[in-house]
Amino acid sequence: MSRLAKPDLSRRRFLAGAVGGSCIMGLGLALPGCSPRSAVESLAAARPDATFAPSLWYEIDGTGAAHIFITKAEMGQHVGTALARIVAEELGAAWSQVRITHVDSHPKWGVMVTGGSWSVHTSFKALSQAGAAGRQLLQAAGAAHLGVPVEACTVADGQVSAGGNSVSFGTLVSAGLPEADLSAEALDALPLKAPEARQLLGKPVAALDIPAKSAGEAVYGLDATLPNMVYAVPLLPPTRYGSVLTRLEDGAAGSVPGFLQTLRIEDPSETIQGWGLVIAESLPAAWKAAEKVVAEWTPGPTAEVDEAALFAEGARLADDPAEGVRVVDHGEIDTVLAGATKTLSAHYRTASALHFTLEPQNALAHFDEAGHCHIHGGNQWQSLILPVLSKALGLAETDITLHQYALGGGYGRRLFGDQMIPAGLAARALGRPVKLVLNREQDSRFDCVRSPSVCRFDAALSAEGEVLGIDHGVAAGWPTLSMAPGFLAPGLNDSGRFDSFSISGADHWYTLPAHRVRAINNPLAQKTFLPGWLRAVGPGWIGWGVESFMDELAHAQGVDPIDFRLARLDGAGPNGGDSPANEGGALRLRAVLEAVRERSGWGRSLPQGSGLGVAVAHGQERGMPTWTACVAEVAVAGDAVSVKKLWQVIDVGTVIDPGGARAQAEGAMLWGLSLALYEGTAFEAGQVRDRNLDRYTPLRMKDVPELDIHFAESTAFPSGLGEPPLIAVAPAIGNAIFAATGKRVRDLPIRLS
Amino acid sequence: MTEFMLNGTPVSSASPEDTPLLWVLRDELDHKGTKFGCGIAQCGACTVHLDGTPTRACVLPLSAVAGRQVTTIEGLASDAGEALKAAWVSEQVPQCGYCQSGQLMTAAALLEANPSPSDDEIVNAMNGNLCRCMAYGRIKAAVKVAAGRGEGQA
Ligand code: FES
Ligand code: FES
Repeated sequence: MSRLAKPDLSRRRFLAGAVGGSCIMGLGLALPGCSPRSAVESLAAARPDATFAPSLWYEIDGTGAAHIFITKAEMGQHVGTALARIVAEELGAAWSQVRITHVDSHPKWGVMVTGGSWSVHTSFKALSQAGAAGRQLLQAAGAAHLGVPVEACTVADGQVSAGGNSVSFGTLVSAGLPEADLSAEALDALPLKAPEARQLLGKPVAALDIPAKSAGEAVYGLDATLPNMVYAVPLLPPTRYGSVLTRLEDGAAGSVPGFLQTLRIEDPSETIQGWGLVIAESLPAAWKAAEKVVAEWTPGPTAEVDEAALFAEGARLADDPAEGVRVVDHGEIDTVLAGATKTLSAHYRTASALHFTLEPQNALAHFDEAGHCHIHGGNQWQSLILPVLSKALGLAETDITLHQYALGGGYGRRLFGDQMIPAGLAARALGRPVKLVLNREQDSRFDCVRSPSVCRFDAALSAEGEVLGIDHGVAAGWPTLSMAPGFLAPGLNDSGRFDSFSISGADHWYTLPAHRVRAINNPLAQKTFLPGWLRAVGPGWIGWGVESFMDELAHAQGVDPIDFRLARLDGAGPNGGDSPANEGGALRLRAVLEAVRERSGWGRSLPQGSGLGVAVAHGQERGMPTWTACVAEVAVAGDAVSVKKLWQVIDVGTVIDPGGARAQAEGAMLWGLSLALYEGTAFEAGQVRDRNLDRYTPLRMKDVPELDIHFAESTAFPSGLGEPPLIAVAPAIGNAIFAATGKRVRDLPIRLS
Repeated sequence: MTEFMLNGTPVSSASPEDTPLLWVLRDELDHKGTKFGCGIAQCGACTVHLDGTPTRACVLPLSAVAGRQVTTIEGLASDAGEALKAAWVSEQVPQCGYCQSGQLMTAAALLEANPSPSDDEIVNAMNGNLCRCMAYGRIKAAVKVAAGRGEGQA
């Protein structure tokens, strides 16, 4: 080697990197007060010649280690591993030399959001291209180093090789590589690997976040601390909106050791209304003091609202064919219904459901000497809460940094970081770091609840029972309306704007002669609580009605429920798919349905009181479907439903990480089962009724049935997995109960009593 | 002042005697591997060993541990504990990971008392530990893997 100084530099960098490593535990998640990104940046600044950063998304250091920057939240889906593999595949990095860093919010990362099972889907192309760009530059440098033509070189395992000689990425980076800033066009023109040439994607891998999580070492938002911080616990008002805190006094709290003060929260963004805080030197002291302070409110207008009122309002709206933004509308359904020999109508309802992240909501806020606000905590959608925080705190968004941590459960709850607001306001008022923690009951009361929903179906049938058309009204609270109204989508024919996340799944892939879908906001729900996105979002509850009603139609016609579906999954017209992401369309749904029929032994005879039910889903959206078909075997004894086995066949396109994919599918299917049989709450006096595990009872280990999960072989564009396998489970169970007992269940959670 | 042994080391706390042990561990003694989920002894995220018995730290008053041995995930170093941690990685158990300290502590107490539990015994022992991500299948599989290894060593 001609440049002997370089290995030494790289060794110093390695040592410095090890120091940085003390800031980066396990996942590479930030420890309090120590940003791995800034550590990396300062290291890079000190020895720029030992860092090769051909893309925003990663850099390679002088040891050859590839540091991949992850802008997505880690909440159990091992997203850093999945995304790093995409980069490493095209880059030709050695997997053992790949490191991940979850980054703080910074404008350079663009929109930061983790949800909708989009992460792999939306990042795949950009990360592949970024990796390919690095490979091309390293290959050129390697060719020069080896003294061979570029075409003679291969790149794999962190080495550029030709004719038995090779040079490592680390050596090339240490020797210095030219700056590269490829244009978007140049990136687009880069050749990507053919699926059969892939070395990493589709092969089993150990997730990078798992060792820390298996030793109690992963760092969650609740674990964040800062010197001199105090604890804050909320005094929640009787309603989410419109309550006024009329009295707030220390009362007997003054006698609690460690109690510091109470604080009234005035939030200019009006996200947080009517809150008081109790501030103390420890959490137990704050909770003890909270029982002794005097707080009184004038309740907001929804203080009497209950679940029945929410359902009644939803049904009133869904029953009126004039109501609702038109999302699907073809075939003159009003005329078809008016002229039909027979009609079949039904209401399907789902009750309020909670996220119940095991780590309750919390935030640690701190203003530094320059007046910059730092908020520590796990969050799924930094780009959503930053503008709200900006308004609440009267700061420019660039004066606020969100520091990311492992999420002790996301499931959509941490798409909104509303608890950061009172933490930030309190930190400013008190002039010291404030750690705000909701206890479990408060976390439930303050949840962005999955809205109770009502679906109204009207099917027009011919004399022979043939389905001529379906009208489908869907009424619920809309998360997007409250939290991100800019994302509301325009309906057909100027019929208004709607929340696409609260209607997806109604736009299914069955070919029908006439079909209308009406998206209806339930204004009473919108006023009573903040509707939230819960794992699988709209399809998670809309699929309940759609697939149960399909079953009703099949039985009304006396046709096997699978044959009935197959007959309508013909891929005709728009149901053939219209983009690379949904190529094949309904025919792929057909294929998974046929496969699950086979695997489940559909049609076999079962003991009295047992039955098989089927359902399909195309979560999360028509434009990005994951095709799933599920069969449930249930045994019903009296009012008790026991799920014996669930089969699911899934076509997610290319499977990036088989182990992770299976874990996501298992978790999502059990969520589907839990929401079907074990969860569900109700509003009572304007509040969530069931707030802790004594009354809100997600599935436990003893409730887990046998699972048969099968992924279709595919090299199609990869879709998402965190949510879709949830969707078909509940309707498959409901349909199995019908097969077992002849009893049709139309409410979720399912209660036979 | 309450004195007790934490992972084999003597420690003390000046907190009021009714303070739940969980917060003494997490916020005073900086042992943050033990987690808070429900506060009512129903989720198991806060499980520690008190003289070897799995115990819910969120409802255990500090006074109850005076002079006793407390083991947390940071100090889980028994043969069973090591086998379980290794199995948690080999079976790729954790999803969000938040419940897993408690799962591991409960599983370790099970294997220490019963080195080769049946499936039913595993389910009975683990049923009180909620996994909101529902990684139950892998938790159960990993306990079995760890139990197999324990047998091999015995
Ligand atoms: S936090 Fe102790 S059992 Fe839930
Ligand atoms: S892994 Fe998330 S709660 Fe168990």
